[in-house]
Amino acid sequence: MDTNNKIADEELRAQVRSWLGENWTQAKAASLKQHQPLWGASDELKSWLAEVVSARWAAPRWPTEWFGRDLSNKQAKIIEAEFAAVRAPGTGQDRTNLWANTLLAGGTEVLKSKLIGPLLQGEVNMCLLYSEPNAGSDLAGIRTRADRQEDHYVVNGQKVWTSGAMTADYGMLIARTDWDVPKHQGISYFYCPMKQEGIEVRPLRQITNESQFNEVFITDALIPAENLLGNFNQGWQMLQTALAYERLIMGEGARGPRSGGNKKAKNVEVLIALAREAGVLEQPKLRQDIAQMIAYKKLNALNGARGKADISQGASSSLMSLGKLAMSRILHEEARLRTEILGPGSLFEGSDYSDAENANFLTFQAYLTSIGGGTDQIQRNIIGERVLGLPKEPEVDKKIPFREVRAS
Amino acid sequence: MNKLSLEERVALRDSVHQLLTNECDESAVRTTMETTSGFDPVLWNKLAEMGIVGLIINEDQGGAGVGPIELETVMEEVGAALLCSPLLASGVLAAELLNALQNDDVSSQLLPAIADGSCIATAALTGQSGCWTEGGVTVSAKGNTNEWLLSGSASYVLHGQNANVLLVAASTSDGLSMFVVEAEADGLSISGLPTFDHTLRLAEISFDKVAAERITTQRPVWDAVIQALDITLVALAGEQAGAAEHCLAATVDYAKTRIQFGRAIGSFQAIKHMAADLLLETESSISAARHAAACLADGTDDATEAVSLAAFACADTFVSTAATSVQMYGGIAFTWEHPAHLYLRRARADAQLFGSSSFYRERFIQQLEA
Ligand SMILES: Cc1cc2nc3c(=O)[nH]c(=O)nc-3n(C[C@H](O)[C@H](O)[C@H](O)COP(=O)(O)OP(=O)(O)OC[C@H]3O[C@@H](n4cnc5c(N)ncnc54)[C@H](O)[C@@H]3O)c2cc1C
Repeated sequence: MDTNNKIADEELRAQVRSWLGENWTQAKAASLKQHQPLWGASDELKSWLAEVVSARWAAPRWPTEWFGRDLSNKQAKIIEAEFAAVRAPGTGQDRTNLWANTLLAGGTEVLKSKLIGPLLQGEVNMCLLYSEPNAGSDLAGIRTRADRQEDHYVVNGQKVWTSGAMTADYGMLIARTDWDVPKHQGISYFYCPMKQEGIEVRPLRQITNESQFNEVFITDALIPAENLLGNFNQGWQMLQTALAYERLIMGEGARGPRSGGNKKAKNVEVLIALAREAGVLEQPKLRQDIAQMIAYKKLNALNGARGKADISQGASSSLMSLGKLAMSRILHEEARLRTEILGPGSLFEGSDYSDAENANFLTFQAYLTSIGGGTDQIQRNIIGERVLGLPKEPEVDKKIPFREVRAS
Repeated sequence: MNKLSLEERVALRDSVHQLLTNECDESAVRTTMETTSGFDPVLWNKLAEMGIVGLIINEDQGGAGVGPIELETVMEEVGAALLCSPLLASGVLAAELLNALQNDDVSSQLLPAIADGSCIATAALTGQSGCWTEGGVTVSAKGNTNEWLLSGSASYVLHGQNANVLLVAASTSDGLSMFVVEAEADGLSISGLPTFDHTLRLAEISFDKVAAERITTQRPVWDAVIQALDITLVALAGEQAGAAEHCLAATVDYAKTRIQFGRAIGSFQAIKHMAADLLLETESSISAARHAAACLADGTDDATEAVSLAAFACADTFVSTAATSVQMYGGIAFTWEHPAHLYLRRARADAQLFGSSSFYRERFIQQLEA
C-alpha cells in the first residue's frame, strides 16, 4: 500500500487472483452450477457468497463499514474482471444488487445493520411491491395506504404482478401516506415483511405457463417504523433510485432459455449455432439479420461499459437509460430470429422440442423486459424528457391533491 | 361454382358470427383447446348443418357449391373467434384436393360425408422438413392397379389425429400419386404432436406397408395439390386477417378505457401511433385476403401472385398485430387468463402452417419476374 492507504492496481489484481485461486475450487464451481433454482439462492451459492462477503469482495465500491473497500470504480472493475475470468459469482453487487443498494441509499441504521449482510449473502428473498391494478406506468397513482400507529405502520391495499412474492421475506413497498397533497408528494417507501398474517399472496399464471408473478392482498399488515427508506412522504425520490438500479440490471441481460439450451453454442453465438445446425446460415437475408442482432448485443455491451466508466455508484448516466430499451429490442429480435431459423420446427412445445420450446418461451419472456420495470414507451418518455431535455407532456393530475385524481 | 350476392354474403357472415358468438366464446375456446381432439363435435355438427364444412364442395356432392370468396368471408369470422376445428383440414384442404383431382368415383365416395361433417378428412403432403414442394414428400408407394402399399412418413398433418380418412401424397415408380387411406388401416401409426398453439392439432404419421387406394387422375398430381394449397392459403389468410382485425379492435377498446396519468392510455401518442400503424397493416391484410379470393374465384392470370401476397402479408400482419397488442395492453396481457396470448400463439402457428413468409415472398417475386 502506498502512503495514502491506497492499493496499487497490480497489487489488488494479485490479491483477488490469489484469493480466488485458494477459495474458488473446481468442486465449488461445479456444485454451484448444478444447483440453480429459478428463484432465490441455493445453499451452495449462499455459502459461497458468505465467503465473498467476508473477504470484502462483494461490494468493493462501498464504504468499509458496509462490507466494502471504498475502492474507485476502476479498481472495482479489476475485481469484477478477475471474478468473471474464472466465472465466480458474487462481486459487483454494489452495482447489481437492487435490494442492497436501495437499502444502503435510504435505509435506517437499524435496518441496514440487520439486512445488508444477509442481502449480499443471498439469505433474504425479496420482491417489488410497486404495481397495482390501477397504477402501472403511472406508479404515482398507487392507492395502497400506510398509516402510522405508534412505532409501526399499518398497510392496506392490493399489489399486482409481484414477481417472487411467494418466496419473499421482504417486499420493497410503495404506499400512500398523505392523500391531501399531489400524487408524487404523499408516497413513502418501505421494507415490508412478507411473512405475516396481513399479507396474502395469490399466484397468477403467466403467458409462459409459469407462475412467478402474483397478486398480493394486504390487510392491516404491519411494518416497523425503522423500515421506512428515505424520508416520510418522499418515497417517490427513493423509488427513482431503486428504479434506476432495476433498469440498469434489466439493460444488461435477461433470463435465458428455460431448458438451459445453449449447450449447442460452444464459443459461438447461439443464433449462429442454431442457423448452422438448421442449414440456413447461408441464407442472405437471415444471415444479415443475425449479424444485425449480434451487433445490437455487442453495441449494448459497449454502451454499458462506456456508461459504467462515467459513474461511481448507481447515479444514472444517459447511456444507462438506453440499456433497457436496447435490451428489449435485442430480446424480441432474438426470439424472432430463433423462430425464423426453426421455421415449422418452431410449432412445438415440451422437452422433446427444446429449440422450439426456447424460441416460444423467449418470445413471451421478452415482454418481461419490454413491459416490466417500466414499459418501452415509458422508457422512451424518460429518455426524451430527462436525458434529452425535451419538454414534458402536460400531466393533468400532477398538481391536484391525490384525493381528487381520476382512476380507471 | 356459384357466387353469392353481396347481401347473401353478408347474411352468411352474420349467421357464422352469430353461431360463433353463441358457441365459441373465449371460455369455450379455452375448454376445447385443452381436450384431446381439440374440437367440439357439437359445434362441428352445427357448422356442417349450416353448410360451412361443405362450403366449397359441389351441390351434387352435398356441399354449398360456392368458392374462395365466400370461404374467405367465413374464415375472417373463424379467425376472430379463434375457432378450434378441422375445418381447414377437412372442408378446405382435403375437399379441394378431391375437387382438383377430378376423380368422380372417389369424390362421390368421400365428399358427401366430408360436407355433412360425418367424415373428417385431411391431407398428408409433406414430411419432417415441413417443405411444401413436391420434394418434401417422404412417403412412397409400391403396387399395381389393384393393390398399393405405402411406406415412409408424413408430418405437419393438420388434424391428422382426428381424421377418418387421409389423402396421402406418395411417390411411385412413375411419379407422384395421391392415395386414400383409412385411419384404421393396418401399419398406420398416427401420433399427435405437442403444439404450442393449443388451438391447433398436428400429427406425425408413419406408414408401414399400409394398404391404400390410388386416386387416378388426368392431372399432374402436384398441380392438384397446388390448387388445394392455394385455396387453403386464401382461407388461412382470411383467418389471419379476421383475427388480426379482432386483436386490434379489442386492444383499441382497452386503450379507450384504461386510465393512467389521469387519462386514457389511448390518448398517448405512443399508443395511438402503434394502433394507427396496425390499422394500416390489418386493413392491408384484409384487402390482400379478399383480393386473393377474388382472383382465385375468377381464375385470373395473376391468381398465384395474389395468393402468395396474401399468404405472407396476412401471416406477418397477424403476428405483428398480436405481438404489438401484448405491448399495448401492458402487464395484464402477460397473464394466461388474458386472451392476447391465445391470438399470439395462433398467429405464430398460422405463420408456419403451409410454409413461411419468406417462402411466399419468393414465390411472389418469381411471379413478378416471369
Ligand atoms: C413479467 C412481469 C413481471 C413484473 N414484475 C413486477 C414486480 O415484481 N413488481 C411490480 O411492482 N411490478 C411488476 N411488473 C409490473 C410492471 O412494472 C407493469 O406491468 C408496467 O409498469 C406497466 O404497467 P401496466 O401493466 O399497468 O400497464 P399500463 O400502465 O396500463 O400501460 C398500458 C400501455 O399504455 C402505455 N402507456 C402508459 N402510460 C403511457 C405514457 N405516459 N406514454 C406512453 N405510453 C403509455 C404502456 O406503455 C402500455 O403499452 C411486472 C410486469 C411483468 C410483465
